[in-house]
Amino acid sequence: MARILVIEDDPATAQEILAELAGHGHEVTHAAEGLGALDRATREHFDAITLDRMLPGLDGLTLVAQLRERRITVPVLMISALSDVDERIAGLRAGGDDYLVKPFAAQEMAMRIEVLLRRQQEPSEDALLRVGGIEVDLIRRQVRVDSEAVRLLHMEFRLLEFLARHPGEVMSRRIIFEQVWGYYFDPGANLINVHIARLRKKLDRPGLPSAIVTLKGEGYRLDAI
Amino acid sequence: MLSDRLRFRDIRNTSTFRLTAVLGLVFALGVTVLLGLIYLLSARELSVRSDHVIRQVSARMMAAPADRLPAQMEIELVRGSKGLNYYALISASGERVGGNFDPPGPLRLDRLVDIPALPSQHGPLRILATRTRSGETVVVGRDISPILDLRARVLGILIGSGIAIVLSMGTAGVALSLRPLRRVRDLQRASHEIAAGRLSVRMPIAGRGDELDLFAGTVNVMVEEVGRVVAQVKGVTDAIAHDLRTPLTHVRVHLHRMQLLPDPKVTAIATAAIADLDEVLERFAALLRIAELEAGGRRAGFRSVDPVALVARAVDLYEPLAEERGIALIARPGSAPPIRGDEQLLFEAVSNLLDNAIKFTPAGGTIVAQAFEAAESVRIEVRDDGPGVPADQRQAVLRRFHRGADTDGTEGSGLGLSVVTAIVHLHNFQLDLADSQPGLSATLVCSIE
Repeated sequence: MARILVIEDDPATAQEILAELAGHGHEVTHAAEGLGALDRATREHFDAITLDRMLPGLDGLTLVAQLRERRITVPVLMISALSDVDERIAGLRAGGDDYLVKPFAAQEMAMRIEVLLRRQQEPSEDALLRVGGIEVDLIRRQVRVDSEAVRLLHMEFRLLEFLARHPGEVMSRRIIFEQVWGYYFDPGANLINVHIARLRKKLDRPGLPSAIVTLKGEGYRLDAI
Repeated sequence: MLSDRLRFRDIRNTSTFRLTAVLGLVFALGVTVLLGLIYLLSARELSVRSDHVIRQVSARMMAAPADRLPAQMEIELVRGSKGLNYYALISASGERVGGNFDPPGPLRLDRLVDIPALPSQHGPLRILATRTRSGETVVVGRDISPILDLRARVLGILIGSGIAIVLSMGTAGVALSLRPLRRVRDLQRASHEIAAGRLSVRMPIAGRGDELDLFAGTVNVMVEEVGRVVAQVKGVTDAIAHDLRTPLTHVRVHLHRMQLLPDPKVTAIATAAIADLDEVLERFAALLRIAELEAGGRRAGFRSVDPVALVARAVDLYEPLAEERGIALIARPGSAPPIRGDEQLLFEAVSNLLDNAIKFTPAGGTIVAQAFEAAESVRIEVRDDGPGVPADQRQAVLRRFHRGADTDGTEGSGLGLSVVTAIVHLHNFQLDLADSQPGLSATLVCSIE
């Protein structure tokens, strides 16, 4: 469970975010106005913040910049109706950690919060990620399935590493594409699917269900099997 | 394609140049006639004067009595101006008995004759020989080299000024043609850009109110109107896409909740509905993305991009998808200098080209992607051996929602190439579709950094 501050002036959107994050078992706090939100974020401790780009009082960009100026490192998910890549760059440059464009699926927003929270929990790079029978050695860049070495291509390794950092969590194809490949357009469902299928083939063990689960219309999840 | 260099052929063909040339010709003709006339008249005048002097001297000599002729000749010699005059007295037996030169014989009497110069003795002369009653011949000559000199000089001036006139007219013609030609160039360039779909471009107006300005103004009004209509149509579609996205996202949330219900029948229906809805949302997202790209102004994010690495990464990304369809996707090694652009967007454009090629290439086919340098540009080419696109449809496939005639069952929104077009426009690059026999080659023609 994490403490999350939701800064959003539109009541309907705020309600949606609050409900989704509460549904994931987080403790949520709502602020609808920029200056008050900055004040709260400075005084109290939060594990993550969702921040609307356009706010009354103080706009989102200034707010996150002010937070960083005060050396508050809480991860911030910027949410904006402005989808242009320039806007994304501006948001990230000001100190945001991720950028989500309105309208969004609440699940997608929750996934991104989970990614940010996880990143926060692992400040030091783990040398070894272990999910069920799968071991990902980040230093030697080797993968073992049931102690048996599996050879992965560069991007396959990065894909598995990303999923292994978020075991049991559903990751949408857009999040995967952004985090693994670093591009911010929608690559279409098929493309990520074939990459997952290739990886899955290399990781599959006879007699056991696949460790990578596809949830149609939602994304992919690495389970401990 | 317009080149920036103006060639003489282009200049020669302009109406200004032709007009200047004709005017110059007429002017040159007039000047030639005038100078010729001056030359002829002055040459004649000088000759007439010189002849007059000769006749006068000759008459004076003839008036002297025969025995005083040598003395008279001495007087004339002393009086003679600046050594221009020459005299000879020849006895009846044909010997020279007086004077300062030997006239070449035989002499024609009472006629003015030109004789050539005799080096170290005298210059070219005009002479008049007359016979006295006592049978001697008196020859009076006058050096005409100053006259010849003057004639040569006038002739030189005539030819020189003729050449100068022709040259200056030519230069004036080029200079005068250059500006209108440049303006026509600019107009042409602008019209090409407008034809390529950049409706924000306007024909340049010089502000002189001349016929080119009038023409440009009229075209601008037309473009304005076309732009307004296009924007209106696009604005409506974009507005629909934008306004429907929020409620549709909410519908998706509800469907997702249904998906989680225990009833497997409900779950199945909800899952199918979500898949369909996602397709709609994707299409809307693509539409809005194009609108956003067309809104433009992203040059701030431009930096140096390595086209070879870009192609390699894109091929890496799409290779598994091609393999799944039984298509060989190959990145052919090449070398190309860096280009200036937005890496994210260029990657998206190349991805869309690859995605498209994979969609329309049958199993067993081959797609080759390559970045190379050619004709002062970098080309990123995706070449497939699929069915290709007929030449008359190549413009159409770049339009939004266009899908080929026999693409039934092929997924996609028909927006992929529109996204590429928008990205290409934003960079001022070019997208060429050509027959690669068989198949289609799509090429991004990028200017070198």
